[in-house]
Amino acid sequence: MLGLQILIDGFAVSALYGLGAVGFTLIFGVSGVLNLSHGAIMVTAATVAWALAERAGAYGGALGGLASAFLLSFVTYFAVVRPIQRSRSIPSEETEIFVLTGTLLWGIMIQVAIAYLATTSPHTVRPLISGVTVIGGVRTPTNEILTAALCWAAIGALTLLIERTRAGKALLAASVNPRGLTLLGFELERVHLLVWAIYGVLVGVAGVLLGAFLGASSDNVGTLTASAFSIVVLGGLGSVPGSLLAAYCIGYLETLTAYLVSPSLRNIPALILLVAVVWARPQGFLGRR
Amino acid sequence: MTLKLVDPRRAAPVAVPPMLEVEGLTKRFGGLVAVKEMRLAIRPGEIVGLIGPNGSGKSTVMKLVMGILRPNAGRVSVDGVDVAGWPSHRVARHGVGLVFQHSRPLHRQTVGENIVLALLPDSLLRLVADPQVERRARAIAERVGLGAVFDRRPATLPFADLRRLELAKAIARDPKVVLVDEPFAGLTAGEVKDFSALIASFRTENKAVLLVDHNVKGVAALVDRAVAMYLGAFVAEGSAAQVMADPTVRAVYLGGAVQASARREPKARTAGPPLLAVEGVSVFYGKAQALDAVDLQVREGEFVSVVGLNGAGKTTLFNAISGLVPHTGSITFGGAPLAGLSAARIARGGIVQCPETRELFNTMSVRENLDLGGAHLPKSDRARQLDWLLELFPILRSRSAQAAGKMSGGEQQMLAIARALMMKPRLLVLDEPTLGLAPVILEQLGRALEVLRTTTPITVLLGEQNVTFALPHADRVYVLEHARLVWEGPPARFAEEAGRAYL
Amino acid sequence: MGSLLRSRLFWGSLAGLALAAAFPLVGGPYTIGVLIPAFYFAVFAMSWDLLFGFAGEVNFGPTFLIGLGAYGAGIVDARYGLGVPLSVAFGTALAVAGGVALALPALRLSGPYFGLVTLVAVLLLQQMVTVFADVSGGEIGLSLPDVLSIDDATNYYFALGFMALSGAALFALSRSPAGLILQACGQDPVEAQALGFNVAKHKLAAFVVSAFFSGLAGALLVFYYGTASPGTFIDIAVGVQIIIAAVLGGRRTIVGAVLGAVFLVVAGEVLRPLGQMSTFAVSAVALAVILLAPAGFLGTLLFRRGAA
Repeated sequence: MLGLQILIDGFAVSALYGLGAVGFTLIFGVSGVLNLSHGAIMVTAATVAWALAERAGAYGGALGGLASAFLLSFVTYFAVVRPIQRSRSIPSEETEIFVLTGTLLWGIMIQVAIAYLATTSPHTVRPLISGVTVIGGVRTPTNEILTAALCWAAIGALTLLIERTRAGKALLAASVNPRGLTLLGFELERVHLLVWAIYGVLVGVAGVLLGAFLGASSDNVGTLTASAFSIVVLGGLGSVPGSLLAAYCIGYLETLTAYLVSPSLRNIPALILLVAVVWARPQGFLGRR
Repeated sequence: MTLKLVDPRRAAPVAVPPMLEVEGLTKRFGGLVAVKEMRLAIRPGEIVGLIGPNGSGKSTVMKLVMGILRPNAGRVSVDGVDVAGWPSHRVARHGVGLVFQHSRPLHRQTVGENIVLALLPDSLLRLVADPQVERRARAIAERVGLGAVFDRRPATLPFADLRRLELAKAIARDPKVVLVDEPFAGLTAGEVKDFSALIASFRTENKAVLLVDHNVKGVAALVDRAVAMYLGAFVAEGSAAQVMADPTVRAVYLGGAVQASARREPKARTAGPPLLAVEGVSVFYGKAQALDAVDLQVREGEFVSVVGLNGAGKTTLFNAISGLVPHTGSITFGGAPLAGLSAARIARGGIVQCPETRELFNTMSVRENLDLGGAHLPKSDRARQLDWLLELFPILRSRSAQAAGKMSGGEQQMLAIARALMMKPRLLVLDEPTLGLAPVILEQLGRALEVLRTTTPITVLLGEQNVTFALPHADRVYVLEHARLVWEGPPARFAEEAGRAYL
Repeated sequence: MGSLLRSRLFWGSLAGLALAAAFPLVGGPYTIGVLIPAFYFAVFAMSWDLLFGFAGEVNFGPTFLIGLGAYGAGIVDARYGLGVPLSVAFGTALAVAGGVALALPALRLSGPYFGLVTLVAVLLLQQMVTVFADVSGGEIGLSLPDVLSIDDATNYYFALGFMALSGAALFALSRSPAGLILQACGQDPVEAQALGFNVAKHKLAAFVVSAFFSGLAGALLVFYYGTASPGTFIDIAVGVQIIIAAVLGGRRTIVGAVLGAVFLVVAGEVLRPLGQMSTFAVSAVALAVILLAPAGFLGTLLFRRGAA
């Protein structure tokens, strides 16, 4: 009974972690950017969905949340990331630390703005589906099943996009060899725009689902960014399948700890695993070296 | 010249043991053998050139000696002690110095402080500099010709002075063995003379000197001996003249005897405006001039070869044409200037470059690589072009689903060319397609180019160091040397007018 | 030119210190209470700059070292009544041990990987404080029986003096031959090795020095407050502030970190009427500085002409 419960809860949590991390890793793979405002954008999506649901209903809210993340993703790119990448007074070997610091500050700004406009208390987005489904004797909120299903649908759609469309192939190629892509007449600038657009959608979906499943508050911003960062490094920077694998490892490890040891310790084994893996295999599970 | 009596250029007595002795040195990167049982010996007071084209493993040898890389097997003995596998800083303390090709001085410190750095002991507790150190730094600066700029910051120095600074840092250690990476790259003729004198002065200090360079010619005047390597292995050894005359070396650089094969008349029209016109194009990398006022034309349907040694500026010229490096001067294509266009736009406009580094999408399949090449074509054109290319390079058909990075070097080169051709270029810019390839592959590649030239209206600009490969296809040849075009003419006149000075 | 710059910086710093020393004559107790933590904060930022600007290591978790110092000192004082000097010594020693532990992965990993390890170190420390709440006081915090002094002026001059001495020591180190070697190791480890420097040794030393000053400042700050809580000493947000202070002041200047730290703390206070939005405003200013003047306050002042 408890075993099945862990299996189900772990699956849903992991799917959510995976979806959140996939966007993060995609951006890194294609443009080498670690976006530390990630958590803030996710929480924005959840908060906007919560606020709009009052007036526009659950679906309108979800759509609004998605749109806000999409928009914010572009603002992040145009107002923070691109100016740093193009700056002449930032030496190229320091671009990375500047992007990190810049997106971090940007994330703090978003976080504070959310706290100001919607308080720091956690908001639970009205779920798209209510009710409870019994799976093998375990009472599971239907919304939890929907969350897992939607996460996988989004990941599946992303996979199709990358594997089956020309734009997706170009995206993949840019993460392997951007110079090669330029030589074939592709504007990298447009590839980057595309990847930030995809990122916006993924983060938006993840944020709204998170808000409906676990609730989200501006206080979660740091944790969300840190967990996406951890999962992505654990899976191998830039590797989408690696991120999914890592998301499931961490998701289940946390769920197991929460159920079997204590909810207050849920983060610790995952952190130790992370340090151990980074130490023994810095490229992560499926990272290229 | 009483010096003659002790002229160290005469082979030192055999009894003098070598200062640097390398034996059976082997380095593998994954499955790739970069250096294979390499051997080499330098006596004190001797200057030896280590010669090989790009990718031959010469730089790897240098890094293995310095301890920057760890060898898989072999011995590196310095002054009788085997230092193979030691960490770099211990090798340095044992008396090996390396003059890096690309300098990265500390930018917030002065030239003097940068030299002082090299004089410091490896100590954590040295919080106050020894006054002696400052004096020695000044003496070294005077010796390499940096005395006047001792208090300036590196960012304000010309390129040659930055190279002097690297040399000064290596001298400061007073090493027994000095390794110099491409001693003359990016220097003007006058500066080359200064540097040669500085390096020659190591002889009188009984240092063992290893100059690593692309070709014998560059270092011939300076070295007592030259050692040539190719594909990671020892090829030849002897005086510079002997090595230049060595048949294997000639085959590596020239691909055999220099001759223009009997071929049909050039089909290019000499009338009308050129398809590509390069006028007075110069390129600087930081402070180093990589291209100096180059003028070049390619007419519609013409096959033009630019030959020149590694480092002469071929790749830079092509990158300027492709819009990948900023340049001065003008480049027009089909009468329209390319200035201000993005590299991708230039590629879509018909100038497609197949670079020497190939730039394949290694983790993607052969087919995916080709599809990306044809991404800008209408669907029907794409299928036709693909069929035609798979016929031209049949090997690619059988490798269709394989990851590009898993193929052999020759197959990768064919894929790179095919991928570029998928774009239906008006002008194909082909940079060093023969780099690091075995002779049998060269033949296949040559045949494919011949088919391309005879059956299509394509215009080709080929950059090659391998003259035998470059000449037979060419309608016209340019010779690029030290960032300048020094000769232009039909291939038939090349052997007679430019061939001798080339190797 | 170099000595001129140095002397300009020297006189500038001296004038700044004199100004700070005279401040209690005009400033009220409230402003003094704001500046005291700012001085300790400045030491945190300078220590971070030694690691980042000179050793080239991006440490996302400066609060790991600070927290070890603060909690190390706080716990032995609260539980064993060791008194201020011994407790501070213990906390500092613990931080140095933490610095060594952090240096080990730093020598193996690079870029984002090391950054992540430092981040995880902070999270683990924070979890430890929560888990062993009976010893550490947990989320609520730890109250200490001892404080440095109950007199504001004493606390003020002690903090100012400590900052001045730490700054002088770190600055002198950064300009010493050992500092020169450290910079070479940070900028191009391969070339530094080829010049005969044991890069691992020098970087380890930098970690130890940085940990020493971080831990010492953390331990002293704990005895100024009389309490320790994860929110003031360990939380990632605190670490972020430190990094921002150092970058804002000017990387690789050591002294610039003081400007950045004081600016952040004072700006936060000045904007306090804005409530939560004060953090927004400060972050926005910091972001603007990073985008428009990436060399930071002092970097822009000192190196503007050298950049040409």
